[in-house]
This record gives sequence, structure tokens and C-alpha cells, in this order.
Amino acid sequence: MANFDITDPISFLKEQMMETLRLVTDPELYINIIDLGLVYGIDIDDSKKLVNVKMTLSSSYCPMGESIVSAVKNCIDGHYAGYVTSVALVWDPVWSYDCITEEGKRLLGM
Amino acid sequence: MSSVKQNPGLYKIVVTHYVFAAFCFLILSVMMLFSVNAFTGHYFHPQILAITHMAALGWGTMVILGASYQLIPVVLETELYSEKLAWISLGFFLPGLLALVYSFWVFVPGVHMQCGAVLLMLAVILFTVNVYLTGKRKKQQTIQEDFIFSACLCLCFTVALGTALVFNFTIPIFPQDHLHFLKLHAHLGLVGWFLLMLIGVSSKLVPMFLVSSYQKTRLLTASYYLIVIALLLFLVDSYFFGLTFRTYVIFAVGAAGIACYFMFILKCLRSRLRKHIDLPMLSSFLSFILLKIAIMIVPFIIYFHLKNNPATVRFSVIYGEFMLLGWITSLILGQTFKTLPFIVWVKRYEHLTGKFKTPMPADLYANNLLKAQTISFIIFCLAFMPGCYFMTIPLIYIGVAALVVTAILYITNVFIVLFHKTITYGKL
Repeated sequence: MANFDITDPISFLKEQMMETLRLVTDPELYINIIDLGLVYGIDIDDSKKLVNVKMTLSSSYCPMGESIVSAVKNCIDGHYAGYVTSVALVWDPVWSYDCITEEGKRLLGM
Repeated sequence: MSSVKQNPGLYKIVVTHYVFAAFCFLILSVMMLFSVNAFTGHYFHPQILAITHMAALGWGTMVILGASYQLIPVVLETELYSEKLAWISLGFFLPGLLALVYSFWVFVPGVHMQCGAVLLMLAVILFTVNVYLTGKRKKQQTIQEDFIFSACLCLCFTVALGTALVFNFTIPIFPQDHLHFLKLHAHLGLVGWFLLMLIGVSSKLVPMFLVSSYQKTRLLTASYYLIVIALLLFLVDSYFFGLTFRTYVIFAVGAAGIACYFMFILKCLRSRLRKHIDLPMLSSFLSFILLKIAIMIVPFIIYFHLKNNPATVRFSVIYGEFMLLGWITSLILGQTFKTLPFIVWVKRYEHLTGKFKTPMPADLYANNLLKAQTISFIIFCLAFMPGCYFMTIPLIYIGVAALVVTAILYITNVFIVLFHKTITYGKL
């Protein structure tokens, strides 16, 4: 899960983008990627209008991986005009079921 | 970045296999409609041989080959070695299948049957080479890889032995009875190819689809070694001595292997995060029940065989039906609507996700048709299998008619998925 520094001037924007990413859902589970715990953090270079989303997938060769990554880029680019988004897939820490938020577990019917 | 890339070439090869398999399933059900009486006799019958090969190759193997090109890169976590090899393999497979099935149907064991068998052998060798070279790209070895490679090798041996049996009709190759080798050929195919391949792939996909937290592979490793040992023992022992009391022990070893797999599935099911189980997964679970029934029939086949009781033939027919038309068919009927909508969805919606509200993969097929298909398939199982056992023609007719309906519903739904037009429900 991502952490935000209140002293960071763009932390509000990061938080906003994080909320926007709730619009991206896993096509099999119908749960958004934030509640699935797939997004580890967002870096923003406000001067160059660059956004880098650090995220993972449930498995390194997840069949839906490409479409989830593409959805993340489309989502940020579409909602924040002028920003260019890149996605960095990271495998450390490895995603596990513990990454799912309480809300995600509720949505999964647990 | 690493994740499986969907490219247009891979999409075409996978979809082509699914379409041909769907047509083969329809043809298979119609062939059965014209052969109802044959199901009350011996399994070594021209129409039964044609139907069995259409079911095993045109339906079961065709879908597995197509799905493999999509799923093996997922399971082995690397990209497919060659799409060209996959097309060449299909190019050999299709004419080979048609020649073989037609030659069995009219029972002319001549050059057409032999050419068909040789073409099929070339096709499966190319498939195996493609899978081997795909897996070779990857350093880490998993138990799934062992299942898949062993299954591919068994497929090659099955087809090689089948080809030899085809030639044996005209040129005496084997000193023993043809039926003696038919047993080995059938088990290499059913246990070696289908069982190992389906366990290998499903052991990765079932936890993925159920979002199960069970990650241990100990049960799968035990399952792999027990099944492979049982298969090898069965092939060697029954080659030299036929069915004996030892066959019970060999069966027990293999059954223990399958039990380990069932325990793995049960643990995945119990530890699943996603509580709702959809219809395609339910159909897959039905297939496990049918597999269990098939396994329970085996001791009866051995018992009646040892007693020289002709009932062994009846039980052998029912066993084959539960394996091919029950377990494998049920699994394919369910998993098609788990895998195909995803493949099509990625092609149609990948560029739109995150921008627009889009349908989900499960919205691509007609759920009502899938429900009807599942019901008609259950009717088939409830009528056809007992009909064959009790040799009751009307029951067999009802069962086969239900299978024709199942095939029509299946093929319709497959085309609904394939011809799905891209739609969006407004901006996100």
C-alpha cells in the first residue's frame, strides 16, 4: 500500500490519482486495483508533467497483465490532461493475498 | 516489465483451434446420433473407433492444443517459442484427423488411414517441439512444467503407437493381439496425455481463477510421481503379462496420485478468496465428479477381465465414455467460457480500459445459453451412460439428442464471443 507524506506539496495530487485508479478494475475479480493492493506508489515530476505508477500483478505472467497496465496509463492520461504516465512493474515485494484491503476482502465476499 | 503479451498472431492461432474444435464437437455428436446401436456392442467397432478418435483428437486434443498456445506461456511464465510451428502443426493435424476418422468410419485400413496417422504424428511432434523450446527459455523448473512436458511426450508415444496399430492392419508389425496394444494406446492417451496435461494446466489456473491462497506444491509433486509411476508400471506389466492381480496394485498407485490432485483442488477451494463460483467453474467441478466415477469403474474392468466375464467390455465402454465424453468434455465446456472470453476481451478492450466503462470478459458470452448447455449436458450424462450400460436404445437416443443440443448451444455461444462487437458505456 502507498504512503503519503503530508509535507510533500504534491501529496494531494498523488492521493487524488490514487483515488482515480480505483476506476481500474481487475476484469476477472471485478475489484479495483487499489483494493487488490496492486499499486505500490505514485511518483510525480510536476515540472515535466510525468507520472510513474509503481505497481505489481498477482503473478508475473498474469494473462490480464498487459490490459491492467494499459488501463492504468489510460486512466491517468485521460483524467489529468497534460500528464504522461508510465508504469513500472515491480516484483519486490511480491504481491500476496495479504495485500488486499479490508474493503477488497469485503467486495470478494470474505 | 514482464507479463504475457497478446499479439494478433497468437490470437488467430488460438481462436482457429477453438473454432475447429467446436465444429468437431458438433460433428462428433451427429456421428453419435447415427451410431446409437454401436454403443451396445464391442468397442472395437468402426463407428466407435471413428467417434473415439473424433472425441479424443478433434474435440479434446484440438481445444487443448489451442488453449496451450495461450496458457502454456502463462503457466511456464515465458513467451511461446514459435507461432509458425503452431500453424504448421495445425496444417498437419486437420487433414490427418479427417483422413483417420473417415477411414475408421468406413473402415478401409489402407493408405488414407496410414497417411492420416502419419500427418497426426508430425503435428504432435511439432507441438511437442514448440512446447519444449518454450519451456527451455525459462530457468526455474516447476511441477507444472513436469506435468506438461510428460504429457506432450505421452501424446507423441500415443500417436506413434496408434500409427503403428494403423499400419498393423495391413502389415503385421505386432506379434500379439491388436486389442492388447489398443489398451496401451488408450491409456497412454487418457492418462499420459489428457490427465497429465489437464492436471498441469489446471493446477495453475484453478487457484488463479478462484483467487486461492493455497500455494504449496507438495500434493502436486506426489500426484505427478504416483501417476507417472502407475502409468509406466501399467504399460510394462500389461505389455508382458496382460491384466493380472498386480493391475489392482498399479491402479491403487495411480488412484492415489489422482486423489492427491483432488486434495490440492479441495485445498484451493477451501482457501479461495473469491466466494462466488461462476457457471464455467461449476462445470469444471462437475468434470472432477465424472473423473471420479470413471476411476471407480476401473476395478470392475479388471475384476471381470480376470474372471473372463464379457461384462468387462461393457465396463470398458462406460469407462471410456466417462473419461472422454464425461470428464474431458465437461471440463472443456466450462473452461472454454473462462478462457475464450478473456482472449477476445483483451483484443477488443485492452486499448479502451481505464478510459471508458467496458463490458467484462464474462459479459461476452450468453449466460442463458451457457445455463441451457450445462443442463443439456447433464441430461446427456444421466441418459447416455446408463443407456449404454443397460443397453437401452431409447435412453441412448435421449442422451445423444441432448449432446447434439449441447454442441449446438456451445458452438452458438463460441460464435457469440468471437463476433462480439466492441461497446462502451460512456467515459470513466
